[in-house]
Amino acid sequence: MFDIEVLLPDLWDILGALPLTLAMALAIFVLSTIVGSLFAMVEYRKIPVLRQLVVAYKIAFKGVPMVIVIFLAYYGLPSSLHFLASLVGIDYNGHSTPNWVTLIVALTACVAAFQAEVVKGALNSFDPGQADAAYSLGYKKSQLFRRVMLPQVIVAAIPDLANSFMVIMKALSLGFAIEVVDIFAQSQLTAALNFYYLEAFLVAVVVYMVIAYAVTQIADWSERALRIRT
Amino acid sequence: MDLSVMIPELLSALPLTLAITFTAMAAGFMLALIATTFRVRRIPVISHFADLYVSYARSVPVVLQLFVAFYGLPVLVGVFGIDDFVSPTIAAMLGLSIYHGGYLSEVMRPAYLAVERGQHDAADSLGYTFSQKLLRVVAPQAVHIALPGYGNSIIYLIHNVALIMYIGAADVMATAHLVMERDYNQYQFETYLVLAVLYSVLCLAAWLIVRFLELRSGKFALSAASARTPLTASV
Repeated sequence: MFDIEVLLPDLWDILGALPLTLAMALAIFVLSTIVGSLFAMVEYRKIPVLRQLVVAYKIAFKGVPMVIVIFLAYYGLPSSLHFLASLVGIDYNGHSTPNWVTLIVALTACVAAFQAEVVKGALNSFDPGQADAAYSLGYKKSQLFRRVMLPQVIVAAIPDLANSFMVIMKALSLGFAIEVVDIFAQSQLTAALNFYYLEAFLVAVVVYMVIAYAVTQIADWSERALRIRT
Repeated sequence: MDLSVMIPELLSALPLTLAITFTAMAAGFMLALIATTFRVRRIPVISHFADLYVSYARSVPVVLQLFVAFYGLPVLVGVFGIDDFVSPTIAAMLGLSIYHGGYLSEVMRPAYLAVERGQHDAADSLGYTFSQKLLRVVAPQAVHIALPGYGNSIIYLIHNVALIMYIGAADVMATAHLVMERDYNQYQFETYLVLAVLYSVLCLAAWLIVRFLELRSGKFALSAASARTPLTASV
């Protein structure tokens, strides 16, 4: 039933998908952090109409499972891109959008809602007394942000950011539904070739757990290294 | 596309989805209680297995956990000489229970530890046994602290029930696929929008129930407000 000998070849096969998975995860992480920070800034500064829009966006994307968002993007994005391109007069065939782009857009849209929460939490952990102190020393708003706020906010956000990186890694596994090959999809393909399903999936489990362990270690290490300076 | 035809058809598959959700909730709760007990009591080898279990549930994608349950369960029962009885529904229940249990354990443990140290000490010094201490002193307070996190994990569970279609369970998503295919795949986007609304409503209902319980359980709280953990994602 259970064959030990296929584990090692399976591992090599599955590790082949690792670079692409990491690259996509990194892209989604960066994009969603940028979008999420914008959302958090809108809420932090309490900008009138935009703020309600952000809240509505967050409620919408928190209630819907990610698979459904991915499928909505898969069926809705190409035609809407086509439409948008035709509005500005560019001749672009939206239906030639590669699937990995669709996946990145869908997951960025989802994760941005959660990243906004992470960044907002980190911003709220900032002590407003320090802002007063900086102003009394004659700091400009941009200087306050860059020299006082940013270093502390980043350190405060590290554990949550590591967590959301893992969430993105796991969410990429849903890409197999729209034919994007990540670690999980690769394990499925490998299993389909040699019919050792359980073995391939267990190898994928180990790969994911090792990645999670590595991400936690890196987060802990960088938090400690940065905390000394602040 | 006719909504008045499609929605009843989708809702006809809802009982199975809910049955799987409730089974996973109940079984996951039991698993979480066991895992959390071992983790807070630090029994040498068993505690490490409990830790490993929790990190498996939290760091492996739920689709993969479902597939492991689907292909692993027949092998497991085969070892004990039982014939293969595994259907996708049972595998989905098992996979989601394991996932939910591990996730919930990580809600329970901090809540247990968040109950003030003095309360533990007072109960210990009065000669309470572990189970007495838990039932009479710690649990009533921990419940209030843990409820927001519990609400989050229920929402994650509802989200992840949408994934059981991939191991072949005939839930709402699978029915939606049938509906779409009958219409020659013309209305895929619209059907998924309906599904999105459906799952949002389920999540909203779960959230409202937990919120109600949270307000009710406030009377057990000493001083500490319940820990508001923001809803992140879990797939």
